[in-house]
Amino acid sequence: MASPLTLIMPIIPGTDLQTVAATLAQYQPQLDAALTGIGTVHYARVLVLDRSVANLQPGGGTDSNVFAVITEYDGSFDKYIGDFVSQVGAVFDALLQYVVGGAALIPVANNVQDFSNFITLNDASQHEPNTGLFQAYDFTVQKILADA
Amino acid sequence: MSTDIDYADVQGTILRGYRVDMARHFILSITDAAGARAFIGQMVSGAPGVPQITTAARWTEKPECFVNISFTAAGLAELGLTTAQLGKFDAAFQRGATADYSAETVGDIGESAPAKWIGGMDDGTRVHVVLNLWVEEEAEVLEKVTAKLRAAFAGCMRELSAHDARALPDNQVHFGYRDNISQPTVQGAPPRKHPIPDDQPVVATGEFLLGYPNQSGGITSVSPAELSKNSSYAAFRILEQDVAGFESFLATYAAEAKVDPEMLAAKVCGRWRNGNPLALQPTEPGTPLPMSQVNDFTYVNATDAAADDTLGLKCPIGSHLRRNNPRNAGVVGTDSAHHRIVRRAMPYGPAYDPAHPDTTPRGLIGYFINASLTNQFEFLTGQWNLASDFVKSAAAPSGSPAGNAYYNVSGQDAFLGVNDPSNPTGPNYSSFTLAGPGAKGTGNTTIAGFSRMITTRGGAYCFLPSITGLKYLSTLVPTT
Repeated sequence: MASPLTLIMPIIPGTDLQTVAATLAQYQPQLDAALTGIGTVHYARVLVLDRSVANLQPGGGTDSNVFAVITEYDGSFDKYIGDFVSQVGAVFDALLQYVVGGAALIPVANNVQDFSNFITLNDASQHEPNTGLFQAYDFTVQKILADA
Repeated sequence: MSTDIDYADVQGTILRGYRVDMARHFILSITDAAGARAFIGQMVSGAPGVPQITTAARWTEKPECFVNISFTAAGLAELGLTTAQLGKFDAAFQRGATADYSAETVGDIGESAPAKWIGGMDDGTRVHVVLNLWVEEEAEVLEKVTAKLRAAFAGCMRELSAHDARALPDNQVHFGYRDNISQPTVQGAPPRKHPIPDDQPVVATGEFLLGYPNQSGGITSVSPAELSKNSSYAAFRILEQDVAGFESFLATYAAEAKVDPEMLAAKVCGRWRNGNPLALQPTEPGTPLPMSQVNDFTYVNATDAAADDTLGLKCPIGSHLRRNNPRNAGVVGTDSAHHRIVRRAMPYGPAYDPAHPDTTPRGLIGYFINASLTNQFEFLTGQWNLASDFVKSAAAPSGSPAGNAYYNVSGQDAFLGVNDPSNPTGPNYSSFTLAGPGAKGTGNTTIAGFSRMITTRGGAYCFLPSITGLKYLSTLVPTT
């Protein structure tokens, strides 16, 4: 059974969205390779949302944006935090430079426990009423790949 | 950052195997913090009559004894570290070995539960110091140095218990295997006197010493800075081995699997009892390989199908060897180099005599050393030894009809697993897969329902300060 991660991170007011988008594009291949390497992540996406707009869609404003990192993964996130940091630490370092309070966590490889605490605090899926997850199948990523 | 290590600032057991035959481990509780700080200072300086802490510095003449010291989180608190300072230490270290979460993580449940631990270790709040003494082979020296140590700590620490260890002939452990073959090669560590080459990457210094880059490129540190660089962590463990149970397991389940008992012994371990690895000697033990070969192998070889063992047909993926060091085989997360530990353990108890079976306690006692108890000792013990879903999907070079590694592992480590035979649907049910060629595990033989082989009798999560750190502790002025 997979588990959800819905990491919500406020972006520092005044941050230019085009700069953020360029960073996301720059690190996307590295993120894809890292998630492939980890081998427990079913799906993952990074969104930018605007809290100042009723439907949250980003529209160019610079003061009320948030990152939303959304994934479904196998196993224990806590137990694999060290591996996660090893694989995607550089990507998170790039994102956290735009996040309120993120600078204190960079580089995450030096601050694994603080980064783990940060994720727990900001993972909406660990807070009621957001803990539910529908899963159409009960297979791990590796079983799916083995049967492919 | 340079990985040049000041060996004289590192407690010796972290980087050096002492190559001795006897050890005594004292479990101590601090009764007088000021006296304990003074005792630490005396051990660092080698005050008259007090055995000096052994560092990793090269010696010209082998000492008659080796002494190291470690502290639990409760011990560091007793010495005067603040809650805020301890809050920056490894999360597992902070909670300690007897905490419910720690025990459940590493499988210390049932008869292995901390509540049943011996020697005062059942109450983690009372265990403050683990003091270690190693001597070559002279009981006389062991007793002489013991007397000195006891005289030195008598006024400031209460001895909860002392635990002796003694090497068995030919580096054997009680289950009959030749041990002390595989250790990580640590970047910057002093070269082994008798090198055992292997085909594995050198592991970053920061995996074993705080203050150096680790495999993830990060640097683990604590506060105050004096306790960071050149310090380390260790899980101290007393692991009782049920030798009669193991021999009974081999006899019963070898018949069930239709293999020779010695073949089953090799399959669950990954090595024959003479130390030869199945990866190199898959069908028979043979004569012991030279040290230049006995550890020089990998499991995946994309260019040489004959040398490849992706599927664990030679050395099972669930064997003790592959679970604890998958080498270049695919695992979810990262790879084996991120979860290595240095083993400094030695047998205790009398050798088992199959002609006269007995239940005298015997097993293995010592340190499992790493820079992160959470990411190394607990991960290794709790994930790779207690689960079977860590293996990546992988086909052999010959193609998918031969099977997939994902299907060729089950249950838990035969030695370190909980291996509860009472609940076939539970997470700790014992099971071991002998892989055979065939899609989706159709060629496999799986044995199940066997009992736990190793019971934890004691333990503590310890911090091994650098010499700089020990000096800091010896002069610490606690805040009030």
